[in-house]
Amino acid sequence: MEKYLNAPIKEIITTFPQVGKILEEYNIGCVPCTLGSCLLKDIVAIHNLAEEELELMYRIEKAIYPERDVKKSVSGRNIKKKSIAGEIKYSPPIKRLVDEHALIKKWVGLIPAVLENLDVESESAMQLILDGVDFIRFYADKFHHAKEEDILFEYTDKNLDVIKTMLKDHETARGHVKALLDAIKTKDQRSIVEHLSAYNGLLTEHIKKEDEILYPWIDRGLSITQVGELFAKFNEAEGKIDKGVIGRCKKFALEVEKKVQKIKAKKEVIK
Amino acid sequence: MSEFGMGGCPGSKMQDFREGTKGGKEEGGTRQSQLKQWPIQLHLVSPEAPYYQKADVLLAADCVAYSVGDFHKDYLKGKSIAIACPKLDEGQDVYVEKIKSFMDDAKINTLTVMTMQVPCCAGLVGIAQQALQSAKRKVPVKSIVVSLQGDVLSEDWVQ
Repeated sequence: MEKYLNAPIKEIITTFPQVGKILEEYNIGCVPCTLGSCLLKDIVAIHNLAEEELELMYRIEKAIYPERDVKKSVSGRNIKKKSIAGEIKYSPPIKRLVDEHALIKKWVGLIPAVLENLDVESESAMQLILDGVDFIRFYADKFHHAKEEDILFEYTDKNLDVIKTMLKDHETARGHVKALLDAIKTKDQRSIVEHLSAYNGLLTEHIKKEDEILYPWIDRGLSITQVGELFAKFNEAEGKIDKGVIGRCKKFALEVEKKVQKIKAKKEVIK
Repeated sequence: MSEFGMGGCPGSKMQDFREGTKGGKEEGGTRQSQLKQWPIQLHLVSPEAPYYQKADVLLAADCVAYSVGDFHKDYLKGKSIAIACPKLDEGQDVYVEKIKSFMDDAKINTLTVMTMQVPCCAGLVGIAQQALQSAKRKVPVKSIVVSLQGDVLSEDWVQ
């Protein structure tokens, strides 16, 4: 079993599809993951299954070795009590990142409606896209992702596949932003739609993974001293960023829904 | 007056735990104290003391250390401490100012407030909350509530 604990989950699911089904029963969404590079042992550890972990491991081992007389382990260790379903208690620095996600989601969630009404000849529509790209560059990336990359992830093992996956998501997102800027310059509607849609899909999944899995896992491993350090480091990092730019970004996220509605209404009138 | 002699207040109601504490494993040897300072009473401590500077501070209600069996090992270790009783102590406005000074002047790293489950003890969390709201410098504040027999009932971050 040791070799499978250290194997990438995609390999295991490909060889033993039953394992994918078992993971889904525990709300562990590895089957649709395009990378699947996380190791089985990390996946089990990261999901904070408490006592359910023993049952899950028993079932996985049975699926891999059906002929083997697998014995169910009895819990002898002090497993931290799992929090009530749906209730995630974040420490203050992690809560700050979750709150930033909420703001990012305000814009990301409106992207489909923006694209549906996109007219590259409309000045207001293009200005909205430009403002949205600025929000992504300065708030989502420079303000938020930078805190993760330069500070938070330093409290984890950066060689873990789950962290590598998050960093790869950040890079992919930057690629879409770069392509978007080029597309805006040339008013290439097809390319704007392609990259903004891809950004929407990527960030929606990325934020969900971080809020529900990665952040709680990191939080569980932080000592009280590290929580304080992290909080102070976030304050210091935020102090170095232009408050005016961040203020504009927050204002954009809070007002964007109204702007999208306006563009939509204007388009209806023209029709 | 009730059969417990002190009315219905859970903070002073008589309770007998002798049955529940029988049969515990006998432990040999001694444990080192994790206390690294004196004084500890909140009226007597000074936020200027070197052991408070940038420290993780534990603000414990007076009864907590008697209730939690492994208080030194699990909660006091690595921290500087102050103790207070929100029910009986006088001059609690001074407490707010002192905790605020921990945050602003001693630049503490974190504050953990440990209280008993009895309702009057929640006042200590309230004092910490007031201090946090009025302090210029914010720090993470955690509230840990323990039962009369020393079990942790809840751990929450104070906003």
